[in-house]
Amino acid sequence: MSAYGAPGAAGPVVYDPMTLPVDDNVNKYTFCVELKSSQWFLQKGKMIAYYGSIDFNGIGHGRLDRLVRTSFHSPLHASDWVVAEGSGRMLLADRAFDVNSYDLDDGNLTIRSGNLLAFQPSLALKQSIVPGFLTLIGTGKFVAASNGPVVFMEPPVRVDPQALVGWADCPSPCHHYDHGYMTGVMGGLRALTGLGGASGEEHQFEFVGAGTVLLQSTETLMAEQATGAVPHEPGVPGGGGPSTGRPQQPGAPRLPGQLGDLQRRFGL
Amino acid sequence: MALREVNAKMVEATVVPGQRLYSQRGAMLAYKGEVSFTPNIQGGQGGLMSMLGRRVAGEATPLMTVEGSGTVFFGHGGHHVQVITLTGDTLYVEADRLLAFEGTLQQGTMFMGSQGGVMGMVRGQVTGQGLFTTTLKGHGAVAVMAHGGVFEIPVTPQRPVHVDPQAYVAHHGDVRNKLSSALGWREMVGRGSGEAFQLELSGNGMVYVQASEEKL
Amino acid sequence: MFRLQGSKVLAVEMTGDAVKAKNGSMVAYDGQMAFKKLSGGGEGLRGMVTRRLTGEQMTVMEVKGHGTCWFADRASEINLVGLRGDKLYVESSNLLATDAGLRTGTTFTGLRGASQGNGLFTTTVEGHGQAAIMSDGPAVVLRVSPQYPLTVDPGAYIAHQGSLRQSFQSGVTFRTFFGEGGGEAFQIRFEGDGLVYVQPSERNTIAGDV
Repeated sequence: MSAYGAPGAAGPVVYDPMTLPVDDNVNKYTFCVELKSSQWFLQKGKMIAYYGSIDFNGIGHGRLDRLVRTSFHSPLHASDWVVAEGSGRMLLADRAFDVNSYDLDDGNLTIRSGNLLAFQPSLALKQSIVPGFLTLIGTGKFVAASNGPVVFMEPPVRVDPQALVGWADCPSPCHHYDHGYMTGVMGGLRALTGLGGASGEEHQFEFVGAGTVLLQSTETLMAEQATGAVPHEPGVPGGGGPSTGRPQQPGAPRLPGQLGDLQRRFGL
Repeated sequence: MALREVNAKMVEATVVPGQRLYSQRGAMLAYKGEVSFTPNIQGGQGGLMSMLGRRVAGEATPLMTVEGSGTVFFGHGGHHVQVITLTGDTLYVEADRLLAFEGTLQQGTMFMGSQGGVMGMVRGQVTGQGLFTTTLKGHGAVAVMAHGGVFEIPVTPQRPVHVDPQAYVAHHGDVRNKLSSALGWREMVGRGSGEAFQLELSGNGMVYVQASEEKL
Repeated sequence: MFRLQGSKVLAVEMTGDAVKAKNGSMVAYDGQMAFKKLSGGGEGLRGMVTRRLTGEQMTVMEVKGHGTCWFADRASEINLVGLRGDKLYVESSNLLATDAGLRTGTTFTGLRGASQGNGLFTTTVEGHGQAAIMSDGPAVVLRVSPQYPLTVDPGAYIAHQGSLRQSFQSGVTFRTFFGEGGGEAFQIRFEGDGLVYVQPSERNTIAGDV
């Protein structure tokens, strides 16, 4: 028995490889994944510690080509992801945001790309039609971060774009604009004088149909990544300009996977 | 009660016809039902003069009126949220910390250091610390934001409490407040922001302090 | 007596005794308190020089008196560590407060800064008493024993105690589409017998201080 951390009554919980939870949360902000000669995809910079022998390889690593072909369908995001393989237990965390695991059983869930931390190779990762979001399809487990606990809601509901974590099963959202605020006497006055301004709530994502919508406390802290970039191609929504997928910061052309990665790494 | 904490960073408000709600602009996360959000030209209640007063006071946090019928979720900037229920007394809180409050509450403005005399006021203006404070009075619920969550410290006649103005969130009750410049406090306690004074609260009530010296 | 009020506020009840705390970390007090600035010199407090990059010097204050003192720093999580004669190594910027009776000093831990630009100097706290360390998100305490060495990302490391050897390893292949390195490219490996504190975040600085 180690001399250290002999748990006093009020002392903190001390974990070792035997007592760390298996594929479960250590606390609200840290998730433990067990590897038994198995693999997980994880976003770079999200592993904080591990026991055992685990290798981390970039997605471009030749040996992994087969795995990437079957599970990873987002070439533009590849530089942000690594494959962890080996045996041991590793801890995942993301800027002290809440982390949770989600189990998909032959299902699909679309999630904001910056919120996804890790997923099992039994799931396939694809880019959503909605820029900035990724869709996971199949059966398996994934881990995602959110600012504050995730709140689940049933449609119909209108959601502030920044508060949207993702959605499962329901059809893709549409935009909803509240024009009421610019009409009428007060609206005219506002338009004329600029006094009063906008309420900041003129635009939402609207969800209808059956499914579940995932909501977080709004955040400006969690940097968007360039992972929403889509090929420039006729018929592909958002494929027309450099600023697509980043409605909050237009006009910042970047190479996919580069500045976004830097921003995330430095928590900008 | 119209405001309910969903989790540490989100509150849920029930909106019914005839009962309006005020909230900070841009703080709506989601809503169900038919709800309208109108920016307040006068920045809350009390008309233009009141707004001018607040502008002078550096308290120009834009508010919006929430009306209709449905459920609205509020949160802002990932900050922690605390719901405080008032039963006839007055809550003193900085306007930019107000996430949402019920329309039944009377809104006003006062200067936190007023009992500290002219010098206090001059200091407050010069350092731009915005020690003008919004008051909410009456019966209803208020959702207040804080960096890292708030904790309560009771103020009793025997135990006056000293607070770093940067960490001060709100207080209510029969509390006298005074700005005093403690020798060495500037170097010791203020986070290099020109904070030359501490807030001394005495009387009978409750002060809410956040776990951070960062202003919102 | 150190007591956590929630997870982000440290309440210290004092009856004439003293604590050393990071300058600027006191948010409120009641009762009678006297403050004394301890900067540089003596007691190895120069050891608390930190943030090499910005050249900022972290100073320490001593608070003494009767009453309750509340400390907090930028909404960081606070973790209490009890020391029974052993030594705690902590990144200087993560140390919030210690009993006045604990000795603080500095050790040079070398390489860690090479990849992350932080932590060339680590503060040591030694003696019998309590210390409060900060983390971005609640720290996870991991035991290192001879049969279970531990590997940690440098950005998530905040402190350790016990007799541990640190070494740096890369051994990570990052051949990506863009030939970009980074992420977990450098790791610290701990071997021996002790405890390591990691935070659920990889920022080098606490809570938004970019």
